[in-house]
Amino acid sequence: MNTITVLGLILFGLMTLIGGKTGATAFLSLLFNFGLLFLAVVLISWGFPAMGVSLVIGTIILAFTIFFGEANEVAAKPAYMAALIVMVILVLIIFPVENWIMAQGFSLEDSEDLEGMSLAIGVSFIGVAVTEAILSTLGAIAEAAIAIAAGLSEILAQHPQLPTKRLYIDGISIGKQIIGTTFNTLFFGFFGGFLALFIWFSGLHYSFGSVINNKIFVAEVLMVLFSLIGVILVVPVTTWVMTVQHRQQVKHRD
Amino acid sequence: MVIVLGLIGVGLTRINAGLYHQTVAQVTHVQTTDRNTTTDEFENKDKTLVQMVTVRVLNKAHRGRTYRIKNTYTRSGAMDQPYRVGDQVFLRIPSSQHNAVTIQGLKRDTALAFVAWLALALLLLIMRFSGLMAFLSVALNAVLFYAAIQIDLATNGGHIYLLFGVLAVLFAVLTLWLVLGFSRQMVVTLGATVAGTGLAVIISLIVFAVTHERGVTYESMQYVTQVPRPLFLVETVLGSLGAVMDESTDIVASLFQLKTERPDIAPRQVFKSGIQIGRSIMGPLINVLFLIFMADTFAMTLLYLRNGNSWGYTFTMNMSLGMVQSLISGIGIVLAIPVASWLASRLMPKEVVA
Repeated sequence: MNTITVLGLILFGLMTLIGGKTGATAFLSLLFNFGLLFLAVVLISWGFPAMGVSLVIGTIILAFTIFFGEANEVAAKPAYMAALIVMVILVLIIFPVENWIMAQGFSLEDSEDLEGMSLAIGVSFIGVAVTEAILSTLGAIAEAAIAIAAGLSEILAQHPQLPTKRLYIDGISIGKQIIGTTFNTLFFGFFGGFLALFIWFSGLHYSFGSVINNKIFVAEVLMVLFSLIGVILVVPVTTWVMTVQHRQQVKHRD
Repeated sequence: MVIVLGLIGVGLTRINAGLYHQTVAQVTHVQTTDRNTTTDEFENKDKTLVQMVTVRVLNKAHRGRTYRIKNTYTRSGAMDQPYRVGDQVFLRIPSSQHNAVTIQGLKRDTALAFVAWLALALLLLIMRFSGLMAFLSVALNAVLFYAAIQIDLATNGGHIYLLFGVLAVLFAVLTLWLVLGFSRQMVVTLGATVAGTGLAVIISLIVFAVTHERGVTYESMQYVTQVPRPLFLVETVLGSLGAVMDESTDIVASLFQLKTERPDIAPRQVFKSGIQIGRSIMGPLINVLFLIFMADTFAMTLLYLRNGNSWGYTFTMNMSLGMVQSLISGIGIVLAIPVASWLASRLMPKEVVA
């Protein structure tokens, strides 16, 4: 059997063993997300505009990640709303930045892998860079949104009469607790995977100046920064969505 | 205050040409001279354009001189790009008069600094002091990371497992110490992180041995200058380390909280609660890493597809390594849950009762 299949089966087994039904559905969401990601590449390769594809696929990926991973529906709905809002804000940041910084496509370091390939494929690589950036931030956004929404809904369940101002303070304080560790997830997630590139840079004695202007390095750092911005924005946005929802529920009760 | 200073810093990168060893120039005028439609062997239509770019040199010996340079680029811009008035670029000016002056690439530091400033400003505005600590921990880790790469190069990758194994533990100690301070809680979290990641590595090595690494295409790994297999494993461990720490921190913190609220709780119950908490965290967390690992492969995958490769071959050559990485990280993330819960239930201070 293929290594990927075996590893996949082990992961599925472990997730079901430890997570029960939640674990099994979480594994399913992973499978779906893979399918969606591949679908996104295929759609773009068929000529669909990258921006449209990333928005549509992004919306669905967020839904799968949030609703399949979180059993608590009270928390999942506002988390999804907040994640969508943040995704739209991020697109508004990512699109102009990618057009400005032009860190799309490939660099000289990729030459070996590109041998014999036709590069003039008629697909805008800036669009592809935007898609990459958006999709890579979604997981972090979803995770942070769930954490905050779950924390706040817990607080609301215990103190249903909490004033909205107090709820906002609580939201930010939960955000402060998760931000440090989330940063580390992102930092290691991105840079751990690029160890080889950094060894390349150091081994060939790239100057600091060349590194910070290097296409691949810039593209990678940008993805980390976009994810960070996304996670930071999730904190007030999720809290805001929760307070709006809370206010409506209080009104209903009166 | 800090935020305004940062913005001034971003502005300064426009006039930092003097700091560079390379020749920096600013584009003052651009004129498109030719455009052609091209079709490659896979029926991909693209446009090739030629522009005459006028640049004025900003530093070094040729400062103040202007050059007119021909730049050919495609609409899709995989390896090339158009230049716009106001862009700053790096120039190669050959010493002999016969060779043409060429543009080596765009100077991207201003835009990069701007986005970094935006992230930092938001961080400080919303998170205040906690934001600063988070930033500090990332900065310190970056320094460690840099040091480890230097050592790795000095030893020519000979002790890569040992070196990065030690580094991974150091990363965990430093990060958790900054987040939690030095306490029993920190030790428990650290134990869970190291054990979870270690178990995942052991399991994957066994799977590798049993399946003879079929479908793991090390030859498709990018930017490799050393033996790919150890490099790949180290990348995977480092990549998942942050996520496992993230999760262990959450679980252990909640369990210690629980113990403070209900001092008489039995270890068995603590273990159960830990699993409960872990359940809802693991799914989203695995997805975080999965999306990060996979998004990187996007451009190359697209290129493969448009160059007439089948879906299967494209997946194997581009996405399979990311997939293996995601799966191993996923196993680490799941295993850390029982380990963290068990350690917390055993090592929780009993004297809290008093």
